[in-house]
Amino acid sequence: MSKLSHNPRLAGPLALAGSVLLIVSGLLSWSYEPILGDISVRFWPVTLQVYAIVMGVIALLLALVAAGPLGRWSQHIDPARGLRTMGVTAAIFAVTTLVAITHQTGGLINANEGVWIALVGGLLIAAAGYLRPETKVLDPAEIALPAWLEIIVIALLVGLGLYTAQYALKQTDPWVLVLLVGMLIGVTLTATRSNMASWVGGVTMRHQRVFLLATFVVVLAFPFTQGGSEANLNIAGNVLIFAATALGLNIVVGLAGLLDLGYIAFLGAGAYVGATMSYSAFATIGWKPPFLVVMLIGGLVSSILGLIIGSPTLRVSGDYLAIVTLAFGEIFRLAMFNLDGQSGPMITRGSNGINAIPDLNFFGFNFGQTHNILGIDIPRAGNYYFVLIALIVFVIIVFTHLNNSRIGRGWVAIREDERAAEAMGVNVFGLKILAFAGGASLAGMAGTVKAHMDQAVSPDSYIFLESAFLLAAVVLGGMGTVGGVLIGAAILKFLPEKLRFLDDYRLLMFGLVLVVMMRVRPEGLIASKRRQLEFHDDDEELAETVVIDELEAAK
Amino acid sequence: MELVAQQIVNGLTIGSLYALIAVGYTVVYGIIQLINFAHGEIFMIGAFGALSTSLILFPGQTALWTLPLILIGAVAAAVAVAVVMERIAYRPLRNAPRLAPLITAIGISVFLQELVRVGYNDPTLFISDANPFDFPSAKQKVVFPRVDGISGESFDLGGIILQRPAIFTVACLAISAIWLWYYINRTRSGRAMQAVSQDPDTARLMGINVDRIIVTAFAIGAALAAVAGVAYGLQTTNINFKMGFIYGLKAFTAAVLGGIGNIQGAVVGGLVLGILESIAIQYFPGGSPWKDIWAFSILILVLVFRPQGIMGAKVVDRA
Amino acid sequence: MNRRSVISTGATLLVASMALTACGTRGGDSGGSGDAGGSGDKVVKIGVISPLSGDLSALGLGIQHSVELAAKQANESGDLGDWKIEVAPEDDEGKPEVGKNAASKLASDKDVIGVVGTLNSSVAGPVQPILDKAKITMVSPANTNPTLTRGAKPVDAPARTYDNYFRTCTTDDVQGPFAARYLYEKAGIKELATVHDKKTYGQGLVDAFSAEYKKLGGKIVAAETINPDEDKFSAVVSSLKAKKPKAVYYGGEYPQAAPLSQQMKAGGLDVPLMGGDGIFSGEYIKLAGKGSAGDLATSVGAPTESLEAGKKFLDDYKAAGYSDPAEAYGAYAYDAATAIINAMKVSLKDAETVEDARQATIDAMKDVSFDGVTGKVAFDEYGDTKTRILTVYEVKGGAWKDVNTEEFK
Repeated sequence: MSKLSHNPRLAGPLALAGSVLLIVSGLLSWSYEPILGDISVRFWPVTLQVYAIVMGVIALLLALVAAGPLGRWSQHIDPARGLRTMGVTAAIFAVTTLVAITHQTGGLINANEGVWIALVGGLLIAAAGYLRPETKVLDPAEIALPAWLEIIVIALLVGLGLYTAQYALKQTDPWVLVLLVGMLIGVTLTATRSNMASWVGGVTMRHQRVFLLATFVVVLAFPFTQGGSEANLNIAGNVLIFAATALGLNIVVGLAGLLDLGYIAFLGAGAYVGATMSYSAFATIGWKPPFLVVMLIGGLVSSILGLIIGSPTLRVSGDYLAIVTLAFGEIFRLAMFNLDGQSGPMITRGSNGINAIPDLNFFGFNFGQTHNILGIDIPRAGNYYFVLIALIVFVIIVFTHLNNSRIGRGWVAIREDERAAEAMGVNVFGLKILAFAGGASLAGMAGTVKAHMDQAVSPDSYIFLESAFLLAAVVLGGMGTVGGVLIGAAILKFLPEKLRFLDDYRLLMFGLVLVVMMRVRPEGLIASKRRQLEFHDDDEELAETVVIDELEAAK
Repeated sequence: MELVAQQIVNGLTIGSLYALIAVGYTVVYGIIQLINFAHGEIFMIGAFGALSTSLILFPGQTALWTLPLILIGAVAAAVAVAVVMERIAYRPLRNAPRLAPLITAIGISVFLQELVRVGYNDPTLFISDANPFDFPSAKQKVVFPRVDGISGESFDLGGIILQRPAIFTVACLAISAIWLWYYINRTRSGRAMQAVSQDPDTARLMGINVDRIIVTAFAIGAALAAVAGVAYGLQTTNINFKMGFIYGLKAFTAAVLGGIGNIQGAVVGGLVLGILESIAIQYFPGGSPWKDIWAFSILILVLVFRPQGIMGAKVVDRA
Repeated sequence: MNRRSVISTGATLLVASMALTACGTRGGDSGGSGDAGGSGDKVVKIGVISPLSGDLSALGLGIQHSVELAAKQANESGDLGDWKIEVAPEDDEGKPEVGKNAASKLASDKDVIGVVGTLNSSVAGPVQPILDKAKITMVSPANTNPTLTRGAKPVDAPARTYDNYFRTCTTDDVQGPFAARYLYEKAGIKELATVHDKKTYGQGLVDAFSAEYKKLGGKIVAAETINPDEDKFSAVVSSLKAKKPKAVYYGGEYPQAAPLSQQMKAGGLDVPLMGGDGIFSGEYIKLAGKGSAGDLATSVGAPTESLEAGKKFLDDYKAAGYSDPAEAYGAYAYDAATAIINAMKVSLKDAETVEDARQATIDAMKDVSFDGVTGKVAFDEYGDTKTRILTVYEVKGGAWKDVNTEEFK
């Protein structure tokens, strides 16, 4: 980019003009036809028009920082990077809208002035961003406001999160949803690049307890906002199981740097333990312990498998290990087919699987029924939702504690340089095995819940593609971070439910996204700084901040 | 005894397929230490390239003269896809951490499979219904064109059945192996390839265009995989979009078995794996349901205890 | 590189969208508005749960379109008065947990009265209870697992688990034994081998077949399995050939059966291959080639009626212009939808809302009886199809020809 001549004086006015255009476009008509939530009306912004205004307002904020009244913020916020990201996002947003309008109405001619103005606005903003040089800024995380104000900010943020989630779940038009998610990703990236997110990070760090509590309250409140409907809660349940498994995988891949391509087998092992020890008429094991015991056994069985599959790490690593785990995943699936009483002992009922697994029942609380709590119906999926939240909180606690402990640092050391770690006295083999066994046991526990939630277990749910999906969740979200994996899991399990219009093109898009992602942002949406450095090792500024962070953490 | 001989013949046939595909893994790995996970898909693309050639140029024609043409079509399609794949997806990631190209490879693999599955009879995807050559839908198995003289009556050698497509497959492997040996050891660019695989930086200093050598490696692998695709189509008389996954995996096993990075090793590994599999159906505990489990167990055991393979290869640390 | 690639991606997208859409017409009457007539009609929905994406989508889309065809014909006939049928297709990706989502989505839709699906028995597991709770009739065109209707012990102590569940395909324990009797008694084959693909349908079929065949006194000289992801079966064929069977009974579907048959003949094992309705498809003959002559398949119903009606169905299906073929389960799905529609004729007569009519529809299913495109359709006390008339077909001259029709007792 150094080739582009920087002209900072032009940048301010351009950015202002662009963001005003973007905001104004939201008030204009975007399409001749009343599609996508009716974007044909002027001065009555809905869906896409609202998103354009949101992006315009953020761009305006950055523009004001770049030139004019908010100039003093520029020592903490870098408007150049922010404007670039926001501008490119807005331009892509407008182009995608053009495609959507064309697809829905049969011709580009149906696009009205608003979308074109939005496109121009986005391009102007991006141009402004590239004209302005990147500046080195101070970390805004240190700026402290009065405590009460910061707590209000937290409350607003968390509330906004819940509102956005609700809003996204309500969208039925796939194009609107795609554009919404694109806008949200763009806004998040803008906030990260311009350093605004760092301030938010600082605020939440200073009031960590308040933040965690608020998040927890919102998460628990979610089922109460569904009015007894199961559809979204079912999706949420799938996301949570997937996320718990992906967090387990994150220990192996994200922390210890060991690639595992057969991870779904651990979830499967847990699910089979849950199924064979359930009260289902098809269960093959006579012993029916209470569910919590089953859950522990599920975790144990998976971690034993983890030990077995982890033991070759003594001798193989890198790509070879990936292939070993892939082979292991296939062996698991084939073995589940074969343990059907004909080709092997009767455990899994082969391809028939184990059906009719009854709902959980804790001390007379039947998970299969709708319960009325505080006057609001909590359906079956809601009950499981609460159990899964408990599970995932447990998983997150385990994960963060491991990450911030001696063990976690040992893993990172192995990931970065195995020999150096060994020379420094890190028990390399033990830690690797621990990563596999620990991660696997989390997946196994999730599996036992999954068996009851799905009420059926069969081998074809545990194919290689599912392992690839898990890995994609970890990679898309950001390796080694909790938030990233949660977001990755949510995107991968939630979007397909809403993007049914893609039908047969769903997997095609999945493959494409993986390839593009690895090229554009290999460290994932939410990357730990250390990770980011691995993928951009020429970025000296980043290297510096990482070193400073590490030093502070060590204090 | 007859049965053992028959199973060895079967094993050699299927092993030749593995060997042809395995060469692609090994050549690329030998040069840039990349497991091109999408290589199985190139095999599949080759088979579909052959089918397309037949449908475009001479639909319904089965004479022997069509064979070279469909082979060329297969090779062209596979090489084109492999080169584009290297250029767009792998080259930008050459210095990235190892995870990135591997995940890219998985992405490409899914993408190519799905592209053939939904796009074969719908080349513009959802935009129009154009299908000028009346391609069949690839969502299910597709009949592969027959070739007179190659897909015909089997030979019976005292109880041992020799199928014509099987003979064709083994012949393909033999010709390819000889050509490859000649290319690597006797031509300029072949020796350049050896140099790059030993030390890319020094090779670059010596004036070798490393990028071009890497592309060549991908192209060679793709060409052999495409030949395997045609052989497969002739043997089974039909092809499908997901055939690349399992054959890619088995061929990778073969490459590892023979010592990855070692071309003779890939050939030997493929043949050994093929024979082992055929014998396993007959004599291993559990029979056919457990066959693949044995194959994968062998893969794990080799990786763990003899990562340099049976033939041995230059020992590189794959950290 | 990073930034440039973002820009170039954007530019490419822009150019592509321009190029693709340069010619467009203003106005939205390009399609879809044709069925706007009769806005005063009451809407009733039939859901479809099947894999609409992924590698099973060919079968799933065939099911969806067949149901759409049945709904379209019912709407045109006007038999349902002012009720208008809409089809609500949901993708299950062939996975239980996605199928569960699809089921709860349909269950929360007040207009849904019945569901045609699922394709996979494993997906039916979680779908059954959800639809049962909402009293939505479920008719599967393809589930062959006997436990879905008859509980954990389908043979010794059958017990119906879900009242709302029915199916139009036969279970394995009718087709398998029927084929066993034909081979042993009519064709006089006393020694044969079995092969299956380790999937629910194939394995169940072979199990039922083997039990009956052994009871009759036949000898099974070899029992093998194949991996359905592979197409090279020469090692299995050689191993079968050594045991010298007089026929091979295959449990599975035509995509594997056809190459198996072809490789059997090429590998010197020149005996007929017999299978169930999974291989009774024109595609089988196309894929297996000339060697398939003499191969056998069983299918439900008598040939004349099923062939005539089946041909009409396929013609109608073609005329309707769906993008994907009807595939193996299209006809069963069509009959499943017709069964629901016939039950609706009774239940919706006096109903105000769809929800009121749900239980009545389940009750009416028991009395449904009509000549469908796969034969006579009626359900027994477990929800299985009552039709016990089966036909054996043989490949002769490149087409399936019926050789024996009988009632299975």
